[in-house]
Amino acid sequence: MSVVIDSNVQPHFRYNAEIRRYLPAPHKLRAIPDVEQQWYQAPGGDYRADLYGDGYPGSDPETVAHHLFEQGGADYAVLNPLTRGNIADYLLNSRICAAVNDWLLDRWLEPDATGRFLGTIRVNPEDVRGAVAEIERLADHPKMVQIGIPMQSREPYGKPMFEPIWEAAAAHGLPVAVHINGGNGVDYPPTFAGHAYTYPGYAAFMPLNSFVHLATLIIEGVFGRLPDLRFVFSDGGYDILTPLMWRLDTFWMSMRDQTPWVDRFPSQYLTDHVRYCTSALDGPTDAGLTERWFEFTDKSDLVMYGSNYPHWSTTAPADATAGLNDEQRAKVLWRNASELYGIGTRAQGSPT
Amino acid sequence: MTTISEIRPDTSDARDIAVTIVDTDVHPLPVSSSVLKSYAPAPWRDRLWPTGNAVTPVPYFYDTPDSYKTNSLRVDAKPPRGGAPGSDPEFAAQQLLVEAGVSIAMLEPMCDAQLPDAEHVLKATYNDWLADVWLAAANWHGRWRGAISITAQDPHAAAREIERWAGHPYMAEVLMTPQTRGIPFGSPHFDPIYAAASRHGLPVATHLMGQTPYELIPIYPVGNPAHWHDFFASWPLLYVSHLMSLVFDGAFDRHPDLRIVFVEGGFTWALPMMWRMDRIWEQRRGDLPLVRRRPSDYVREHVRFTTQPLEEVDVVVYREYIEMMGLGDNIMFSTDYPHWSYDAPQWAIRRFPAEQRERIMRGNAMELYRLPDTVKALPGE
Amino acid sequence: MQRRAVCPIEDLPPGSMKLVDAGKFGVGVYNIDGELYAIANYCSHEGAPLCLGYVGGTTEYDPDSLDRIRRVREGRIARCPWHNWEFDITTGENLADPKKRVRTYRVDVVDGQVYLTA
Repeated sequence: MSVVIDSNVQPHFRYNAEIRRYLPAPHKLRAIPDVEQQWYQAPGGDYRADLYGDGYPGSDPETVAHHLFEQGGADYAVLNPLTRGNIADYLLNSRICAAVNDWLLDRWLEPDATGRFLGTIRVNPEDVRGAVAEIERLADHPKMVQIGIPMQSREPYGKPMFEPIWEAAAAHGLPVAVHINGGNGVDYPPTFAGHAYTYPGYAAFMPLNSFVHLATLIIEGVFGRLPDLRFVFSDGGYDILTPLMWRLDTFWMSMRDQTPWVDRFPSQYLTDHVRYCTSALDGPTDAGLTERWFEFTDKSDLVMYGSNYPHWSTTAPADATAGLNDEQRAKVLWRNASELYGIGTRAQGSPT
Repeated sequence: MTTISEIRPDTSDARDIAVTIVDTDVHPLPVSSSVLKSYAPAPWRDRLWPTGNAVTPVPYFYDTPDSYKTNSLRVDAKPPRGGAPGSDPEFAAQQLLVEAGVSIAMLEPMCDAQLPDAEHVLKATYNDWLADVWLAAANWHGRWRGAISITAQDPHAAAREIERWAGHPYMAEVLMTPQTRGIPFGSPHFDPIYAAASRHGLPVATHLMGQTPYELIPIYPVGNPAHWHDFFASWPLLYVSHLMSLVFDGAFDRHPDLRIVFVEGGFTWALPMMWRMDRIWEQRRGDLPLVRRRPSDYVREHVRFTTQPLEEVDVVVYREYIEMMGLGDNIMFSTDYPHWSYDAPQWAIRRFPAEQRERIMRGNAMELYRLPDTVKALPGE
Repeated sequence: MQRRAVCPIEDLPPGSMKLVDAGKFGVGVYNIDGELYAIANYCSHEGAPLCLGYVGGTTEYDPDSLDRIRRVREGRIARCPWHNWEFDITTGENLADPKKRVRTYRVDVVDGQVYLTA
């Protein structure tokens, strides 16, 4: 029986104020946004309807383990918790990230004797020194398999101010996972044409912003300077990859002399540097096209199964891989994630 | 109002030739700001084109290759009589219509201004200039079509401008910026424009305008790239944002005869985005009370995409992708003459699957713009 | 292919180009610092008249400079007048993708006369 790695799960605090237990003394009375987004929550709730009731959805490790592993058929789950948004006080935001990380260790990772839960070190890109320090603090923990940052940003991640964070991540062999964050902060409207007037207008568009982060990481030379750096776009949006990478390759041929550090076609950086998690919104609606579609831009090597549990769009492994051939399915369900996170390796020398 | 008999001199000796290639994106340029100014109301001339110590600057910063020399234009398109590429109708006809083989071309000027009243006057000025310099005597052959430029900032003034030109025999579409300062295309804000355009059977085309600053760029949701190549590779996401709004916010049901043309934003993204809209509609239909049909059906019926800039991809892979898209009725060929990123018709046609070529190179545009089957031949054809 | 006289070498000083009516699209003969080269007047992208574009240098990654860039190969690079693809006149190679070459031809000088074989 083959392994299934779920690369995208969001555990939650039991209630919003619980985070204060993990904050240091100077910050315990500060205003901190709740995890829910204003304006763009899904009507009826962001999470699967059946998970509300006994504590916040995704807040009980036993329940989550049961849903993911017994019912869902996964063998490992990468937990990537939300933080509270790009709040103005960047130092407080870093303490919020650290509080979430400490809570993740305390409630989810340390108590898990089976070793099936893996974790994310959340950092705040707006506090570069703090982010690097947080990576250094937790990078050696055997269950932390990636760094986590928000999709929301006022500057794309290829810009130079962020690079020390990526250097630290790459030095520790930890991919950087970009995920649409919770909370509220100082952000631009989520689409290129301003605010979305409907929830679907927001939800369908938002993951596509990953392309701007990706394009700048290539064109500004970040991937070129950091051969071991990997980025994961956890909300999918990879269906836009072929059309826009074709464009980027094409325009680069005309503009090569402005960015001569890019020494190959931009699309040639993808396999070594970029991964995506599956989403309920990506993929052909015509299942007959899925297999062929997945080979454009080598997507079958780039995409990893992620349930997105406990989100309303939670997807089971079978649904996420419908229409794929056996080799593609194996890559998506475990091989790509196993290679990225070294999970197979871990299982052999497991500390549990 | 101009009528055809006033425009066309006696050309009874010019042959009729079949329309084979329609070019849906060409950029005419006034030969000088003095000429353009002469079409503006006198009180506005100094405001729109300041002179002296506050001369209108060259503002752009997302530059194209060697732009200080090339000005983002084809280096080989300078008219022998002088002026910038695209400023001489006769030389443009020679290069584009005769040499490149284009039968009919859509002329789409580019301009914008900060304030609504100024932008409305500027667009009206361009319309008067276009009609006089390109669509009157110079259009004796009937091969130029013009776009009615309008401001997105004042839809009622824009609707009046559409009414002003709707009867002109050679104005074939309405042209509006997609850089709408945070208002997506599906917003009821644009209803007066869509109503006027639909009433007259005029498609609403959109094309990038100025390289202007502030939120007009637009400011991308996660910030803006540092270089043009990744900035413009991401540009289709502006069209995706507008398309999702048009569909999800019910614009096509409010305006059943509306046709939207996305110009110079590529088209290979259309199918995956149609899937994406269909998927969320299937999963969250209750959140989309204004959407009465499958989203992709709206796109097939109401939306067209122009082809330039065609991507540099292995042609076998490219044709397979386009065939898989099955959007042969929605794609229209364009060159972007005289810009540097020009696509040559004879090269472009081979990039498409054979059975879509006629529709892409002419058929879809013929139907959308209600173009004639023949035009007058030019000397040398 | 035929060998044809182009012009006396004095009419083709360093930094200049002569467009010769040879082949289907013409051939540009260039004098670069006293060495002669010839490339087809046909860009391997969409068939633009390559030799009508500007000739200049290009850039290289310079990790030691603040803006990470330095200008090199001055006078050796033909930029297509349309999409500005860069071609090294001395090799015909496209700088971004060396597989996208432009055709090159042999040029020689005998008794002060420039000859092109195209």
